[in-house]
Amino acid sequence: MSVAVAPQQPLVAEHRPRWREVLGVLLRNPLAVAAIVFLLLLLAAAVFGDALAPHDPTAASVRDRLQPPSTAHPFGTDELGRDIFSRVLVAASVSLQVGIIAVGIALTAGVTLGLLAGFYGGRSDDVIMRLMDMVFAFPAILLAIAVLAILGPGVRNAMIAIGIVFTPIFARVTRSRVLSVREEVYVRAARSIGASDLRLLATHVLPNVLAPIIVQASISLAFAILQEAALSFLGLGTQPPDPSWGRMLSEGRGFIQLAWWMAVFPGLAILLTVMSFNFLGDGLRDALDPRRAKALEGSRA
Amino acid sequence: MSAYVLRRGLQAVVVLLGVSVIVFALVHVVPGDPIRVALGTRFDPDTYAALRERAGFDRPLVVQYVTWLGSALTGDLGVSFRSGQPVATTLLARLPATVALAVAALVVALVVAVPLGIVSALRSGSVWDHLASAFSQVGISVPDFWLAILLILLFSLTLGWLPSTGYVPLTEDPWQWLRHLVLPATAVGVVSGSVITRFVRSSVLESLSEDYTRTARAKGLREAVVVNRHVLRTALVPVVTVTGLQLAYLLGGVIIVEAIFAWPGLGRLAYQAVQARDYPVLQGAVLLFAVIFLLVNFLVDLLYAWLDPRITYS
Repeated sequence: MSVAVAPQQPLVAEHRPRWREVLGVLLRNPLAVAAIVFLLLLLAAAVFGDALAPHDPTAASVRDRLQPPSTAHPFGTDELGRDIFSRVLVAASVSLQVGIIAVGIALTAGVTLGLLAGFYGGRSDDVIMRLMDMVFAFPAILLAIAVLAILGPGVRNAMIAIGIVFTPIFARVTRSRVLSVREEVYVRAARSIGASDLRLLATHVLPNVLAPIIVQASISLAFAILQEAALSFLGLGTQPPDPSWGRMLSEGRGFIQLAWWMAVFPGLAILLTVMSFNFLGDGLRDALDPRRAKALEGSRA
Repeated sequence: MSAYVLRRGLQAVVVLLGVSVIVFALVHVVPGDPIRVALGTRFDPDTYAALRERAGFDRPLVVQYVTWLGSALTGDLGVSFRSGQPVATTLLARLPATVALAVAALVVALVVAVPLGIVSALRSGSVWDHLASAFSQVGISVPDFWLAILLILLFSLTLGWLPSTGYVPLTEDPWQWLRHLVLPATAVGVVSGSVITRFVRSSVLESLSEDYTRTARAKGLREAVVVNRHVLRTALVPVVTVTGLQLAYLLGGVIIVEAIFAWPGLGRLAYQAVQARDYPVLQGAVLLFAVIFLLVNFLVDLLYAWLDPRITYS
């Protein structure tokens, strides 16, 4: 038996039209739309990869080794006769997972630290931001490699390593926005009626600093996927027999004279994915730009 | 100005101290006994005891850190677990190759990025603008190690124009040095070039819309004079900053490309140290990279403050 439920009134109704406008602006940007379409296809590959793959991505077949691209194997086969198209498809899930979880770690840690530094200022600001400077002082890939040298290679550790590397950028982006938001009238008003710090941060500061964080998240996803590919290329990320784009590239490198397709297609997959996240980030930045938002408000009035 | 230099210098020193703690901790958070791990199957009690003694692992951590920092400041970074050579000597031997690669990559980047960025801003919406935008979008997203493989496939294996791997010192044979440098420098230079192109474009566009440009046009100056004397002169100041940052990135970020081209630089050394679990070498390389990065950043800040008269030093 079904029960009719009255649609609930959203508590923050005033935010809704703004987000709808953001989406509207985003969907008018052809590059962002292309990126979204590609990323949705990639997500489908990541979720249903095993079912969509025309061949078993780990099944070796000596008879089919190093076959050039054909209708049976659109991206050719590798030195063990495995279908590269199926492997590229299935590897999407590893790349996306590592990217999303690593950025999730960086976002959680970085935004928390940035909120605290920006909101409280003074000594906690100094300590947190100098700490972030220290992490920032290491070349990203070298820091990730060093972390993996300690934790040991593997996908899980690669996520942690990339998460650590990307934390400072989120802390910086968050802090700089918080510095201006905390002086806004609505924050001071809420403080004057006795709102607790936690409440101020959660309901007034955080929602108003989200825009640059969302943009940064999209751009960081692009770089996290590049980093995962780099680490796997060096043999420190995804371990065999799981396919990963970076690993496939490094395997393909050894056969470059015999089978160019082994290195070309996984690299193309990385390029298109990274480019899509960058386009999405650029599109989001334009859509969330406060100046543009003001112009939109003006046109609505 | 001197107060500003002092303040920035002090900040850099504080960060550097923190960095040294992180680098020191690197070895000490390795699960188990790092020397035993490093020796692995080549374990023998004498070597083990000698390395342990040298590393001073029996003493309290703080004492170990202070001793380590003290030695590091005098240029003693310990000895390699593998080769037994002093780490500092090994690092210094690898430095020229990395600097050569980074500088060459920056040259590639600037040669492409500055003209492309300027033209795309001056002819906004033209074919050049679209070309610049496509270049910077692809360049920023392309994995440099993939580009390296494609360049080898095209220019070495297919066309046979350039060597696919290896390094020849400049002092030995300048021509061969250059030939070996072209492909790795292009592979890493494209990425930096795409970042700088975007930056030059937006900087020139901004400068074009400034009041002083409008004034220059209004008083009837020829367009070439307006562009040369008013637009570019101010637009290229911030480009110095981004170029410096790119140099810092290139000096530390070329690990995989060095590995692919068998380039005997610091990045490849660090990577080999990870594989061999040679912690003193890894520690030394990471520290050196961080010092170079901070130093370049510091110099870029000073240069920027010196170039742009609007910046106050207080």
